Amino acid sequence: MTALARIAPFALALLMPLAALANPALDAVIADNLDQIERPSRQTVAPLIADIAATGPEGLAMLQAWSARELALTEDGRAVITSGEVPVDAVTGDPVTDDFSSLRPNSGVRGVIDGALVVSQLSDPDPAIRRGALDTLARRADAAQLAALRGALDDPDPAIAARKARLERLLTIQLGEDSANRVQAIRQLSGDVALDFRAALNPLLATRIVATKDEPGGNVARELRPGSDDLSRQDAIAMLVDQGVLQPRLTSAEQRTRLAANIVDGRVGGLPVAALDDPDARDRAYEALEAEGAVPPAATEAETEAALDAHGFFAVYAEPDAAVTEAAETALTRTQTRLGVMRGFDLGLDALSLASIYFLAAIGLAVTFGVMRVINMAHGEFIMMGAYTGYVVQTLIADRTLSLLVALPLAFAVTFAAGVVLYRLVIRHLAHRPLETLLATFGVSIALQQLAKNIFGTQARPLTSPAWLEGAITFNDVVSISSIRVAIFVLALLFLGLFLFIMKRTRLGLEVRAVTQNPGMAASMGINPDRIAMMTFGLGSGIAGIAGVAIGLFAQVTSELGQQYIVQSFMTVVVGGVGNIWGTLAGATLIGGLSKVIESLNPANTLAAQTFMILFIIIFIQFRPRGIIPQKGRAAEV
Amino acid sequence: MQRTPFILRNPSVLIVIAVLAVFTAAVTAASAAYGTGVMPTSMVKVLGKTLCLALAAVAMDLVWGYLGILSLGQMAFFALGGYMIGQWLMYARTEGIVAASMAANPIPPTPAELQEGVAGQIFGVVGSTDLPWAWTFAHSLPAQLALVLIVPGLLALVFGWLAFRSRVNGVYLSILTQAMTLALALWLFQNDSGFRGNNGLSGLQNIPGLEDVGQARLSVWFLWASALALALGYVLAAWLMGGKFGSVTRAIRDDETRVRFLGYPVEGFKLAVFTIAAMITAIAGALYYPQAGIINPAELAPIASIYLAVWVAIGGRGRLYGAVIGAVVVSLLSSWFTGGRAPDLNIAGLRMAWVDWWQVALGLTFVLVTLFAPKGIAGLFDILNRKAKS
Amino acid sequence: MSMMTRKLLLGAALAAVTTAANAQDGEPIKIGVLHSLSGTMAISETTLKDTVLMMVEQQNEKGGVLGRPLEAVVVDPASDWPLFAEKARELLTVSEVDVIFGGWTSVSRKSVLPVIEELNGLMFYPVQYEGEESSKNVIYTGAAPNQQAIPAVDYMRDELGVEKWALLGTDYVYPRTTNNILDAYLKDNGTAEEDIFVNYTPFGHSDWSKIVADVVALGADGKKVGVVSTINGDANVGFYKELAAAGVSADDIPVMAFSVGEEELSGLDTANLVGHLAAWNYFQTAESPENEEFVATWKEFIGDDARVTNDPMEATMIGFNAWVAAVEEAGTTDVDPVLDAIVGVTVPNLTGGTAEVLPNHHLTKPVLIGEIREDGQFDIVSQTDPVPGDAWTDFLPESAVLDADWPGKQCGMYNTQTETCVQVQSNY
Repeated sequence: MTALARIAPFALALLMPLAALANPALDAVIADNLDQIERPSRQTVAPLIADIAATGPEGLAMLQAWSARELALTEDGRAVITSGEVPVDAVTGDPVTDDFSSLRPNSGVRGVIDGALVVSQLSDPDPAIRRGALDTLARRADAAQLAALRGALDDPDPAIAARKARLERLLTIQLGEDSANRVQAIRQLSGDVALDFRAALNPLLATRIVATKDEPGGNVARELRPGSDDLSRQDAIAMLVDQGVLQPRLTSAEQRTRLAANIVDGRVGGLPVAALDDPDARDRAYEALEAEGAVPPAATEAETEAALDAHGFFAVYAEPDAAVTEAAETALTRTQTRLGVMRGFDLGLDALSLASIYFLAAIGLAVTFGVMRVINMAHGEFIMMGAYTGYVVQTLIADRTLSLLVALPLAFAVTFAAGVVLYRLVIRHLAHRPLETLLATFGVSIALQQLAKNIFGTQARPLTSPAWLEGAITFNDVVSISSIRVAIFVLALLFLGLFLFIMKRTRLGLEVRAVTQNPGMAASMGINPDRIAMMTFGLGSGIAGIAGVAIGLFAQVTSELGQQYIVQSFMTVVVGGVGNIWGTLAGATLIGGLSKVIESLNPANTLAAQTFMILFIIIFIQFRPRGIIPQKGRAAEV
Repeated sequence: MQRTPFILRNPSVLIVIAVLAVFTAAVTAASAAYGTGVMPTSMVKVLGKTLCLALAAVAMDLVWGYLGILSLGQMAFFALGGYMIGQWLMYARTEGIVAASMAANPIPPTPAELQEGVAGQIFGVVGSTDLPWAWTFAHSLPAQLALVLIVPGLLALVFGWLAFRSRVNGVYLSILTQAMTLALALWLFQNDSGFRGNNGLSGLQNIPGLEDVGQARLSVWFLWASALALALGYVLAAWLMGGKFGSVTRAIRDDETRVRFLGYPVEGFKLAVFTIAAMITAIAGALYYPQAGIINPAELAPIASIYLAVWVAIGGRGRLYGAVIGAVVVSLLSSWFTGGRAPDLNIAGLRMAWVDWWQVALGLTFVLVTLFAPKGIAGLFDILNRKAKS
Repeated sequence: MSMMTRKLLLGAALAAVTTAANAQDGEPIKIGVLHSLSGTMAISETTLKDTVLMMVEQQNEKGGVLGRPLEAVVVDPASDWPLFAEKARELLTVSEVDVIFGGWTSVSRKSVLPVIEELNGLMFYPVQYEGEESSKNVIYTGAAPNQQAIPAVDYMRDELGVEKWALLGTDYVYPRTTNNILDAYLKDNGTAEEDIFVNYTPFGHSDWSKIVADVVALGADGKKVGVVSTINGDANVGFYKELAAAGVSADDIPVMAFSVGEEELSGLDTANLVGHLAAWNYFQTAESPENEEFVATWKEFIGDDARVTNDPMEATMIGFNAWVAAVEEAGTTDVDPVLDAIVGVTVPNLTGGTAEVLPNHHLTKPVLIGEIREDGQFDIVSQTDPVPGDAWTDFLPESAVLDADWPGKQCGMYNTQTETCVQVQSNY
């Protein structure tokens, strides 16, 4: 769209018939570099792009089209810009009717092209283009571009002006020519946790390790001791070996090869070959060979020690300016402290999000378990049914906001009905036989899962959130959370509120509580326990359906969706304690929070985190067998 | 009081052993190695594995049918048994290969080099060359055989002690056992734990030292071993449950509190049954996986243990032969229906492949059995008995 | 649209196969299809089963092989790894098939290997895999690491300027081994240890917020970050959704996926993923007459215009055609003559070149890099000449000395230093 607007004036100007060849320089560049244009490589394309840019506005227009993947080549090697309604020749601006094949420069090449266009775009009238240019600069910039940026700091849009000013400071840190200016820039931004600031500082503080007998040259960060955390003894030795000042230690494989090379009449160094299946024997044979001079002597421990002592090991900054590195160190230390707090905060948000998902998934289970003492193994499949309901609604209603608004109550209705049917047909006939119920509902679970496979196929189905739920709420570069997760959190709160309202403020809630506490007494008061049980079961299942829509929005909709949450949901209920919504909340919070903490301790292995999580739950239950908030009263005895 | 002999009190034991003997003899006679060859080796393997599953079901029945604990983690013990024997099978087989390859070197290998070579072969697939600590005894068959009993037994003992001590029971305990098997599966799943992650231990059907025997004969040998193990396990279970120990066990199932008030150490009884069942299950697993050929963490996914419970329920819990019947019937049917050889159904012009609908049918059958035949298939015998008597 | 109608069509197709078969003389040649039709892997493998059925149908229309019709025997190993071994034995001994097309996961292949080597069967394995294996009885028609992972990383380094790497994978053997190889390769090429971040997640993982945040945080030292993803199957959906939500554009942090193809992308909205990458040996958008025909035939066969084609399908197709060519050349379906004949066989691939079956039972394959488009297809931004597959990687010291050329040596694990056969059977 914008590209079209930009190129249209050029195209119009060029459509005038007077020039058959509007830009002969560009034509020549294209003709000479056809191959490069067709298959450009990021590493070699820069000079060509500079050449094209130098040919004038037509060149720039062509670059813009190229970067936007709106450039094509005809059979006879003419460049065609395809962004307008009619494809036009990039050189002459004439409409092109020949066949052409589109060019697909990769994103690396497009980055180089954008870099070449940046200077001309910094003061472009279109704010979107100016923002795009700043994005490009933020990725990579050189001194010339910094100079251009400094020349274009004024901007009618205050937000863009602020970005330009900030970018100027950041680029000054990296590329600034005089030391004082750079140090000042660092101090100005000191303590900022933003990623781009740290990205500007860290390269300044990158060090390499040198081993030398003399005083090290350059901007020395610190001296290192071999065997310390920063430099292992092994690495130090390897460095000296690489420098050629130390003989490598003999590896057992080398020893074996050299021994094998010296077999004489079935004996090596006086020992029979058959005896060499013992490392000590091999050492003795090798020493014997050394004494004969048949093999080179291996480095000894003493030699290694001496070489290590004779050398100093230093970490040296790549950045030569000591004032800058010092300022950067100070700034980074301040940043790190704030960063730690921010990371903790971010982890908290992640944990909260996970907890709210577990809560939504488990709340239905907790309700049915609390009231009826039965575990519904098909609960996971109700979650799945909700997710598929969301998918089906989305295929029928194109508008995503509307489809979501329809899907949520519909998912509730569908799973509510499914829950009631399951209750009427199966669960009520198994009253007071919780273990049988568990198994019967498991049968329902596998049947439903396979049914879903048969209906929807095994492929994951898309369930996409509306545009206003895309993206993330970003506090800064460290603390951010995707909008959909916030929405799920809100949904969880909503259901907590709704649930509390139903339980505390409605007739149904009163009756449910009565049946939970003492079914016999409740029945004698005129409450129909069977109807109450059915309603709670439906309610619990309905909430599972809503949870399904929510989960489907941020994860995948497959027939196995429910399986992934069912075990966690059980854990949530069991850890929290049954028959109490606050228990479920506590359980979800504990499990969600702990999962994230363990995950952050071992970021490389999410699986290990899950293992430890479950182990923790097993141990936790040993100490609080009735959960965090145990049920009180007579129901607890059942 | 006159004590009737064990066998007379349990006529079913005799029947089961007789049926088992006839079955084994029939399979042997039909096998390619020792008989007419009507039955292909793959079928012999399926039947051998089914016997192992039946043994696991017997153990499950001890825990669930007699003790009243619905353990959803029995397959953890089954798979652990398989892993323990699998370690030796893999190690010994690979050691032979590595030794043969190293024999080509002019210098004989040191034990350390040999071990390194074996580790490289076994763990090269998963990007490591060190032998993990868990493989310390892998070179020794007696040690690994002992571990088949020790590791699952110890796990059951520790887990059971923790759980029973804090009086976790009912549905809670079921969920907890499920968590146990899930945790174990996730742990084994990691490459770092040293059991080759998701790839698990493979090539287990090639028994070191018996390379020349051939799978045709080996499969029959394993069938014999499985039949023997099932018979012994069945007799042991029947003997345990037939005596006073069994009476107390059933009393705990029916009313734990009352038994405790009578002065019985309830926790001790529970722990004993749970641990014994775990060890029986482990033996079944150790016999199963050399026939299956591969073991990996998917084997102890929670769903596998639930299936075990399903078999026992369909067969009829609380009686050992019910467990055997359930395991045999359901696992063989599953195998047949997913084998692609069952004819497609034509319902109202719709072609329904069993591959797609078998799971649905199984799930619904299961609900129906729970609802209408709580005693399972074995319940049919009661009806027949009653008819015979009347 | 629904599975039901597809089943109906399939049934009709099968019926057509049978009638065509009856029209010809001779005993049918049986072809085993060992792909999971239920369980977790059905999502990917069902497509390959259909591909084989389509190839069988096409071949029968051409008059079969050696004048005999082909007949497919389909079994369902149900994503259950021991069942793969059981069903393979059944196919070879009960159904007596002459060749098996099957497998997807590494563990399913490892499960089948001992059986197929014991019974001297022949299997075509059509999926990209981690290498470090060579069996006499398997033809690996998918990519070895040097045909996918290494060129993809080269591309990211050279063309995208990536300096810092996040290797994200599902925790199983393919990602583990691939990442090990990449780790060694990157370090050989001067990448520092701290510039490589590795993370493994379970199958079907859905909570990606923390991991995506970790990846974004890698950019803190000013180096360009690139993600190499060996995340498998469904888990990708959540991963890409989280990536999109975090506003990570392909220009900032490009993600190169090895397990995401057209089929996986059909499960999500790709609008936010435009520009992220995948490396395969085939994309549906490849421009060649063979591909156009293949795509059209597939859509017609499956009766659904929305169905896509993908890399393992191409590998299945190549494997099938190579087998047909080898059988025609050998004049028999017996495994040993076919194996002798198949080395050196060339068949056209779908990207405008040819695939040759190499002595190490791998193929030559071009490496294609594709950028995700809005319509869930890929823009091919780079295509190499066919690269010969290397069973044992050159970047791990223990494997570099190994060689897998079968003819003459009868050994798939040959140590070129000691000039000995390490083992004749493959390492399962």
